[in-house]
Amino acid sequence: MISPSLEGILPKEQMRYNNEEKHLLGNGGIQIIEAYSEEDISKVLAFSNKYGKTVNVISGGTKRGYGGLIEQADILLSLAKYKGIVEHSVGDLTMTVRPGTTLKEISDELGNYGQRVALDTSWPEIATIGGIVSSNDSGAKRLLYGSVRDLVIGTRIVYPDGRVIRTGGKVVKNVAGYDMNKLFVGSMGTLGVISEITIKLRPLPKYEGLSLLHFPQGNEQAIRAFTVLLLDSKMEPVSLEILNPAITEKMTGKHHYTLAIAFEDRENAVLYQENWVKEHLPIGAEHSVLHEEEARQWWAKFQHLGPNGHHDDENDTYTQAALKIGSNNLDVLINVKAAVELAKVFHVVVEAHGGVGHGILRVYVKGFPEDIVTYIKALRKKVEEKRGYVVCTHLPFKLRETVGVWGEKPGYFALLEGIKRTNDPNRILNRQRFVGGI
Amino acid sequence: MFGKKRKKQCSDPVVQQLITMVGESEVLYLKEELIAYECDGYTMSKGMPRAVVFVNNTEQVSEVVKLLNKEKVPFIARGAGTGLSGGATPFGGEVIISLVRMKKMLHLDLENRKAVIEPGYVNLKLTQSISDKGYYYAPDPSSQYACTVGGNVAENAGGAHCLKYGVTTNHILGLEIVLPTGEIVEIGDDGIPDHPGYDLLGLLTGSEGTLGIVTKITVKVLKNPEDKKTVLAYYDDINDASQSVSDIISTGIIPAALEMMDSIAIEGVESAAYPVGHPSDIAAFLLIEVDGISAGIDDQINEILTVCKNNNVRKVKVAKDEAERGLWWANRKTGFGAMGTISPDYLVQDGVIPRTRLPEVLGEIAEISIKYKLRIANIFHAGDGNLHPLILFDASIPGQSERASKAGSECLKVCADVGGSITGEHGVGIEKSAEMRFIFSEEEVAAQTNIRAVFNPENLLNPGKLFPQPGRCVEVKKEPEKVEV
Repeated sequence: MISPSLEGILPKEQMRYNNEEKHLLGNGGIQIIEAYSEEDISKVLAFSNKYGKTVNVISGGTKRGYGGLIEQADILLSLAKYKGIVEHSVGDLTMTVRPGTTLKEISDELGNYGQRVALDTSWPEIATIGGIVSSNDSGAKRLLYGSVRDLVIGTRIVYPDGRVIRTGGKVVKNVAGYDMNKLFVGSMGTLGVISEITIKLRPLPKYEGLSLLHFPQGNEQAIRAFTVLLLDSKMEPVSLEILNPAITEKMTGKHHYTLAIAFEDRENAVLYQENWVKEHLPIGAEHSVLHEEEARQWWAKFQHLGPNGHHDDENDTYTQAALKIGSNNLDVLINVKAAVELAKVFHVVVEAHGGVGHGILRVYVKGFPEDIVTYIKALRKKVEEKRGYVVCTHLPFKLRETVGVWGEKPGYFALLEGIKRTNDPNRILNRQRFVGGI
Repeated sequence: MFGKKRKKQCSDPVVQQLITMVGESEVLYLKEELIAYECDGYTMSKGMPRAVVFVNNTEQVSEVVKLLNKEKVPFIARGAGTGLSGGATPFGGEVIISLVRMKKMLHLDLENRKAVIEPGYVNLKLTQSISDKGYYYAPDPSSQYACTVGGNVAENAGGAHCLKYGVTTNHILGLEIVLPTGEIVEIGDDGIPDHPGYDLLGLLTGSEGTLGIVTKITVKVLKNPEDKKTVLAYYDDINDASQSVSDIISTGIIPAALEMMDSIAIEGVESAAYPVGHPSDIAAFLLIEVDGISAGIDDQINEILTVCKNNNVRKVKVAKDEAERGLWWANRKTGFGAMGTISPDYLVQDGVIPRTRLPEVLGEIAEISIKYKLRIANIFHAGDGNLHPLILFDASIPGQSERASKAGSECLKVCADVGGSITGEHGVGIEKSAEMRFIFSEEEVAAQTNIRAVFNPENLLNPGKLFPQPGRCVEVKKEPEKVEV
């Protein structure tokens, strides 16, 4: 049954009452509304703002376990069907796309033109560009290609009162006014609903190579010395990702710490750099190289690690979490070790990988809820010793309040609150999804 | 700063308090001392500041700001004053807080590829200070020998090499700022990526000094590329040059730089300090640089040469050594100032267009030139569609300044109408605040000024900049000086 107050806002077939049991990950809604257009989004928000209804926003749902202290809002607004490429300007290397388009759909289309969005985020066939931008998701190759904030050049945003505001533009260089794009990247949908995104593209690489360095002894000093040497060389790795033994085993069958070093360039340049790696191989390290399709398949598998809110089928007793740990670049090595060591103490199973050149470590945790909670708290304490942070990018709803998804509020929290208040004074959008309960 | 005793005592109570706070030698307040601060690199608008105060550290900035906030005196942060849109120019009565004394490098961490500097640190000096270790700071505005990184953050400065490496915002990892209340805030925690919370680093960078005063900056530093090669290509038809730009990008090459100059601009640079010997009868040239792993560069250069030849290039050559490459770049980077050799005055604009619209937009700029009876030279970062039309005029001839200003505004309208922007790297400042309406609606401007109010609720910090004033149209000002970009 549709709430009478919603009648007439959108056609009935786009709205339904949520009969399902409460979702393990929360972030649901009593009424589910499918938006087919920007106008639909605008109508739903204007209505909600006027009548004080709270709205959660969803598309692919891969990040449903990321933040959020409200199990159900009044409305769950789905953008999954508001998809498609609005404009692809091949010669300008730019594309405008609707939020519900999956990364794979975008990549497939761009591939026909020898182009891509330089994002290698997880679950590309389910995760939508709207969700990736809103959560500032990134993958291993951000080392060379940057992250979402470096790629988004313009948006259309539906503000909570229904107005549509454009930010940025459609050109790759633009300093007119504040860089408002940045406000919406990673804001977890708390400031407005993204209805269009214009993004910079790159040409597909001419040749791809992946050097895998396995360290059977797990010698941290050897790994560190090699990464420092590589980073101080003139090589241009696209990734410099450390994998813990559990992930390596899943990826390659070997139970060792591993460095995954990708090169993407002209064939000559890739082979030259791979040769450099071979020549500087640390003592005791094993080495293998994948090229082209083999390398692409390896990365495709890599994009399917860790939990995914779209189909989290675990029950309450044996559950899973995902953590994003930010630190100084080289501290990734210290933190991956800490993540593995603490897992033994707290009886959880972890898979971990992180970019030694970009400072983001991902840890996927499985275990009993109480163990996961104590594990995250201990790991956070350890990481914060070196000014790093831990954010829980996937956690069952019931654990979120106990653990604290975002860590402590920053010292400038009043500014964040002020921005939220400015854009969403009635706090209708993704309430309590973000830092400090914003 | 001023050893000898001044003849006049200052009766201004605010200035007296500033002197008490930082010392007599650190405050300028006499008219003759203040004239140098009437404007920045954009000289068509001028205003007299109430005083200039030199600060040496964050705490002093905070104390000064607290005082000015208490007294409700508007204030402006200023670095080297090389900005080209009037961002550091007073309207009259503001106190200028000069950050040029804050010019230390506080920390260098090459393993984590970052440096922490004070805002008065000069852009080029940053690269020079780490070049012996093989590193550099990527954003390279042509004024880099003088401009400060603090100013670069305020303007989100670009440069010739941002086609491949991005603009300032892509290289800022952390900021310490002083809010208009005097509160000191640290954002980004010295370069830890993706700090939880709204992306204030991104918001502050390019906010033209209207949200806070930057007192410490953590920047990303990059390793020098293994190799680079530079190509110069001469064209008889500017459309062939434009088509080459699109074709180079379409081959999948991202050049480090892809610059273009038309015949009037070439006339200027050839009569200035760094002539290259460009033929006098060509329509345009392209300056193309590719960098990266040496083994991959020759392939790219060959593809570029093929593209140029397929587009009827008259002559194309690769720089034979660093000296030749250096000369080509000196010729390009001093291009704006070179206009002074062929025109008494010039007005530089900074529009951006989708690069595929280049031929069409150049045609429209040519029509504007005819309409206003003023020559327009074009120097631009063609690879990212960032145009710098230079409108040549003589301010001593009545009416020419007004015509130049109108022609400049019309060039920006053309850029806006093809889906572009009114500024790619110079900022809005005073100069283009009215033109903001070419690309943003009133509501969209309000969305931004509402964010300003979160940081700067009383609009004491750099008031009147960046956003259009109600009812204010494009003004005509005095002639500009010859300033480099």
